[in-house]
Amino acid sequence: MSTFSVILAEKLGHEISEYRSNDRQEVYISVNRDEIIPACAVLQRELDGPLVLMFAADERVLSGNYAVYYTFASRRDGRLVTLKTPVQPENMTIPSICLTFPSAAAYEREIQDLFGIIPQGHPDPKRLVLHGNWPEGLHPLRKDYAVHHRPEFARHEITFTEVQGDGVYEIPVGPVHAGIIEPGHFRFSVAGEPIVLLEAQLYYVHKGIEKLAEGMTLEKGLFLAERVSGDESVANALAYCQAVEKIAGVNVPLRAQYTRVLLAELERLISHLGDLGGICLDVGYGFGNSQFTMLRGWAYNLADELCGRRFLRSTVKPGGLRRDCTAGREIPLSEGLYKLRDELSATVDIIQSNSMLIDRVEHTGILAYQIAVDLNATGPAGRASGMTYDVRKSFPYEVYDRLKFKIPEHHNGDVNCRMNVKIEESFQAIELMLQTLKNMPLGEINVPIGPLDPYRQAFGLTESPKGENLHWLMTGEGNTIYRYKIRTPSFGNWAALCHAVRGNIVPDFPLINKSFNLSYAGNDL
Amino acid sequence: MNTLSYILIQCGVILLTAPLVNGLIRKVKAWSQKRRGAPVWQMYADLYKLIRKGTVVSDVSSWVFKATPYLVFATALSAALLVPISIRIQPALLPGDFIMLVSILALGRFFLMTAALDTASTFGGMGSSREALISSLIEPSIMVSLITLALLSHTTSLSAMMGSMQLLRLPLIHPAFLAVFLAWMIILLAETARLPIDDPATHLELTMVHEAMLLEYSGRHLALMEYGAALKQLVLITLIVNLFFPHDQWIPMAGIAGIGLSITIYVFKVILFALLIGWIEVNTVKLKLFSIPNLAALAFILSFLGILQYLIVGGA
Repeated sequence: MSTFSVILAEKLGHEISEYRSNDRQEVYISVNRDEIIPACAVLQRELDGPLVLMFAADERVLSGNYAVYYTFASRRDGRLVTLKTPVQPENMTIPSICLTFPSAAAYEREIQDLFGIIPQGHPDPKRLVLHGNWPEGLHPLRKDYAVHHRPEFARHEITFTEVQGDGVYEIPVGPVHAGIIEPGHFRFSVAGEPIVLLEAQLYYVHKGIEKLAEGMTLEKGLFLAERVSGDESVANALAYCQAVEKIAGVNVPLRAQYTRVLLAELERLISHLGDLGGICLDVGYGFGNSQFTMLRGWAYNLADELCGRRFLRSTVKPGGLRRDCTAGREIPLSEGLYKLRDELSATVDIIQSNSMLIDRVEHTGILAYQIAVDLNATGPAGRASGMTYDVRKSFPYEVYDRLKFKIPEHHNGDVNCRMNVKIEESFQAIELMLQTLKNMPLGEINVPIGPLDPYRQAFGLTESPKGENLHWLMTGEGNTIYRYKIRTPSFGNWAALCHAVRGNIVPDFPLINKSFNLSYAGNDL
Repeated sequence: MNTLSYILIQCGVILLTAPLVNGLIRKVKAWSQKRRGAPVWQMYADLYKLIRKGTVVSDVSSWVFKATPYLVFATALSAALLVPISIRIQPALLPGDFIMLVSILALGRFFLMTAALDTASTFGGMGSSREALISSLIEPSIMVSLITLALLSHTTSLSAMMGSMQLLRLPLIHPAFLAVFLAWMIILLAETARLPIDDPATHLELTMVHEAMLLEYSGRHLALMEYGAALKQLVLITLIVNLFFPHDQWIPMAGIAGIGLSITIYVFKVILFALLIGWIEVNTVKLKLFSIPNLAALAFILSFLGILQYLIVGGA
């Protein structure tokens, strides 16, 4: 029994059942539905860790019930503690915990849409994933919903929070935008130029990825994970591989682990360079934009040389790598990285000494520390607001515990801090890649993974360029996927963005948005 | 010179040169980004393309929406008549002065802002309100700086002002003129929707000022709007280069040859000035919307310094 379970049993006044997955990192504790609120409170106090994920699964074939999982992350000692509560099909409700855990609000709405489990006491239980054109009472993630079923079009009104007062009006923006970006609708309530409230209506690119994954073989699941979000494909594929490898109980060869770090850092570098260019573009700083875009082009070319794909797909697989992409390319690769580093530092020197740029980014779009914590904003967004949390340090995966790097620390939470976090992380990504190239041992790149037992579960946790990326996998019969829950960092960060823009003026929104650079695809799934 | 040939030469040169200024500014920006960039003639091709295209007009809009492109173009062209490209071609009798120039430009802007409100689209309204903010801050500087020049040259006619500036040979060595010139640089950037006040190249509607007002326009209407904006830009550049950098005093010959040389030098000055604007755009970042009043205040202070110098020191 873990200490949490002992404390929890004491608090609740009866024995509780606990099971661990094959990995030390994960603990699962079963509690009754009525005890969920006190249990969550105890866990949060004991773990000093936030609620990082809440999801449901249709486990009627196993136990006759649905199950709702509440995952807390103990970032101090690198453990994930999950409370599991059964929900009987005849009483599809759970008590809402979102008044104590603000980040649960969105998860509960998601579960309500996809499973029809109603969060009782939720202050704003409107639809999240499914839009007004989806009929009532149809919940796609239930097992009896056929994947390719096309429901009738329905017409439900989606309402936005109305701000009242003299001179307050609404600006609807999107879902289709002027740039080549994904769709999302933003409803600004403004008083003149200052923004009073921003509500984002996302899920225009909801593709049903989690539903699609169910019944897929574990080999094919990888392709799906790689395609969740374009600029996080290594991070997502790695999280998927981690989950499969944990269930299989295999250790990936060292050479493959080093290569995975290399790929993940290259992806981070590409993503951050794109964001930095975007920040410059949004303030009309053409020089900065073209420099960063050029640098990103160089980084893409490195990716292309390394694995024949600019978007780093088809590189990793459960058990190791698709192929040994670094072999024989170490020298040109490190030369390319040195060149990139020199040009990057020259560019950074120029843009950081441009006082007009600094004037634009400072004190713009401040995300307060407490809001970042409450909504579980992670990645550069969290680190710019004073959260010193990085999955690579708290839950080291692959060989990150053998490599030297520092978490950037910034406290103001404005665009400037997010920009600086991204700049520092870009340099660190280059250093990390150079370290992996230097230390990479020779040897195997794969271990075989046999057919997996059904109904085993594991988490995959990686630091994507945008933050904490959490996947949960449950295997099914015949080496397939029973349930695959994906939570990319954008899920928590979108909510944080809506808070960060409050009080700013409308023309600063694109800049704030760019400094977060969240994924629509990775959020909408 | 008779009025008809003045109008023909003046309008011809301005109409032909205006799109080139935009092409040059974009070229400079492209160079700063290691790009080759579009040819400097790109805007001529764009206008030709747009004029041949059909227009889409929102069915909730009124006559204002359809009339505005013509009004914007017409006011810009009438403004062009008040600012001679060379004082050698000024007609014997030229009605109108700088107060008329400011009023004509204000008329065009009034319709531009009204038309943007007319379609009731989100971004048009935002563009209008920001344009109103910026222009109400900048117009006082325009008036005060031109009044300074009028007091110094004892005339309100722009061509007569240019004539008296020419007698000074190098007006910028006089502090009063230098202050007014610097004010005019800010006025120019604000009036032509350039960085750091507005970003003409942005695709982000939420940040736009001038472009937001044009979003609903297409085809021929858009061509007229764009052309009108380019004309207005050249009119203001002409005003600056001919007032503060007069060149006719250096031309020895008279007659047709003198006029030809004068106009050639004028075009050359405009090209240099376009490159200067490009350079300014490359080196600045768009200001926060609420920082624009500071810049406008600076322009006003500079023009006011000019008038103070006149009051204390007297004419140059």
